[in-house]
Amino acid sequence: MGIVEKSRLKSPWILHYDCSSCNGCDIEILACLTPYYDIERFGILSKGNPKHSDVLLVTGGVNHRNKTVLKNLYDQMPAPKVVIAIGACGSTGGIFHNCYNILGGADKIVPVDVYVPGCPPRPEAIIDGVVKALDKLKHLQNGTWKEPETGPIVVETAVGAKPAPAAKYANAAPAPTLNSQPTNKEA
Amino acid sequence: MVKSTITFGPQHPVFPEPIQFILKVVDEKVVLAEPQIGYVHRGIEKAFELNDPKDNIFLAERICGICPAPHTTAYVRGVESLMGIEAPPRAKYIRTIMNELNRIHSHILWAGLLGDAIGFESYFMQTWNYREKVLDAIEKISGHRVTYAMNAIGGVRRDMTNEQLRGLEKTMDYVESSLENIEDVMKDYTIKKRTQGIGILTEEEARRDGAVGPTARASGISQDLRTSGYDAYGDLKFEPVVVNNCDSYGRFAVRWQELKQSIDLIRQCIVKMPSGEILTKSNNPMNGEAISRVEAPRGELFYYIKGNGSKKLERVKVRTPTFANIIPTVTMLSKGCQVADVSVIVLSMDPCISCTER
Amino acid sequence: MPGMLKIIFGNLFKKRATRLYPFEKRAPFENARGSMDFAHMENCIFCNLCAKNCPPKAITVDRANKRNALDPLRCIQCGVCAEACPKKVIEMRGQYNEPCYAKRTHVAAQVVKCAQTPPEQK
Repeated sequence: MGIVEKSRLKSPWILHYDCSSCNGCDIEILACLTPYYDIERFGILSKGNPKHSDVLLVTGGVNHRNKTVLKNLYDQMPAPKVVIAIGACGSTGGIFHNCYNILGGADKIVPVDVYVPGCPPRPEAIIDGVVKALDKLKHLQNGTWKEPETGPIVVETAVGAKPAPAAKYANAAPAPTLNSQPTNKEA
Repeated sequence: MVKSTITFGPQHPVFPEPIQFILKVVDEKVVLAEPQIGYVHRGIEKAFELNDPKDNIFLAERICGICPAPHTTAYVRGVESLMGIEAPPRAKYIRTIMNELNRIHSHILWAGLLGDAIGFESYFMQTWNYREKVLDAIEKISGHRVTYAMNAIGGVRRDMTNEQLRGLEKTMDYVESSLENIEDVMKDYTIKKRTQGIGILTEEEARRDGAVGPTARASGISQDLRTSGYDAYGDLKFEPVVVNNCDSYGRFAVRWQELKQSIDLIRQCIVKMPSGEILTKSNNPMNGEAISRVEAPRGELFYYIKGNGSKKLERVKVRTPTFANIIPTVTMLSKGCQVADVSVIVLSMDPCISCTER
Repeated sequence: MPGMLKIIFGNLFKKRATRLYPFEKRAPFENARGSMDFAHMENCIFCNLCAKNCPPKAITVDRANKRNALDPLRCIQCGVCAEACPKKVIEMRGQYNEPCYAKRTHVAAQVVKCAQTPPEQK
């Protein structure tokens, strides 16, 4: 990795654009810059100029008037660039999913690299998102980037057999399960 | 003289939100300002009609992320009056506390943004540092920093424990003492130079253009909806803050004094907090029309709600304070200000574009 | 700006205000609404109340296959599902959801295990 690539990762400059969000995410991004979270510790600066920036933070669900502005901003940014969609609206449309003027997420217009969930996400989550985006940038520069899995994350819970409570309290009645229908003995 | 046109926005470092101002400029003087809006329009009023009235509380909360408490309060008060129910007294006090906490955080946020627009970076950092304490207090009560989700139709969703009330009192002491630290900024030469005499709005103009909130109160109009005594405000003692400066400095002063007023109101609420239920449940049909007005941090917030007896609402109309303040701002801008002062003037009325366009 | 000088010099000797976030993680407040989780999935009766009450319609309930799916990117952490659930299956965790590279749904499924082989017996 050359010095240019390395320094790009050490001091990414951020461009923030509000694509019809409710301001919640925007003030949380601003809160990242203030003394409590202070992302300038990592060399991250918020810039107003797209041609100076490496990371684009998009908030809001993108409406019909905004989409050309977003596309323009993305096109103006210099080549190794990452896009982070902040918040539920920026990722999927969130609570505005059935509003007529909402396209439903930044990924309808520009390719999004990292999604930050939350409505609005906490500043900690936004910092995490930027770190993840830089990680991706690093892998892309090294050519070691693997496409992420897209399938659902399944967590399985066993039912039907619940020996633990019965073993603990030997005299207690067995816990009701889906398989064993409670029977009315008096009937 | 040659007139030239400068477009300001929609993506501009000074504004956190997208709005475009087309300025007609002669030399450095602005002679005409045209706001171009539509960048944040989402169509929330239509979505109000499609959703369940309970879900609409969360939609109303997200009309504006800076003032979620007044929006939900106005919405649930309107729906409650359609149903013919009233929130229990404890719920009203909790709502009042949330509204005042919201006002404190919004005014501190605004003071910081003004500092940023003037170029006073350390002031921006200092105020936002104090604001985090208020957000922590809000998170302890409601569970989230920005969107509170406290209001429900017929009351509030979460109760406040005595511990939380004591913690809130401590936070208020901290905020008051820290605001005293930076009070000297008001007397500062640079701040006065950048704000005094900038963005003048006389009392007649404010009345003619229909200014609301701190913008109106800085022009000498004593107009504060809280004096009408909705929620718990009827039991609390306070006077609307009125200043006769008629300029950006006056708006700064009004907000600064309102911060202290809000701290005082929260303390009164903590002392007078009644005990009892927090939610009145009701399944009454929503029939007829209702309006509800609430004093948001930026001014009067107005909701018109119409129901037709079915499960969904027929029409919800929202008029937000910034919408009322657009014409006064254009009046201020068109008086021949300098281009460098545009951001200060626009910020002095505390614009909230996402409220305005819904 | 001389009004600020007192604070600026005071800050030199005060405790730092910054939360050193990635190195020192702050514990979430009690009752904070961070992320929603099907915590006690074994009690779920698939009544569909959570999906019905969810404001952004982020939850889907598949009663036939005994699966609940949550779109974490659409969830707004309002906590309505946790209040609506009659069996208290859903919990609001203080911890927020992690940022992700791809849109993946969280599926919580009930799997019927054979009663003769209990998994934990010592």
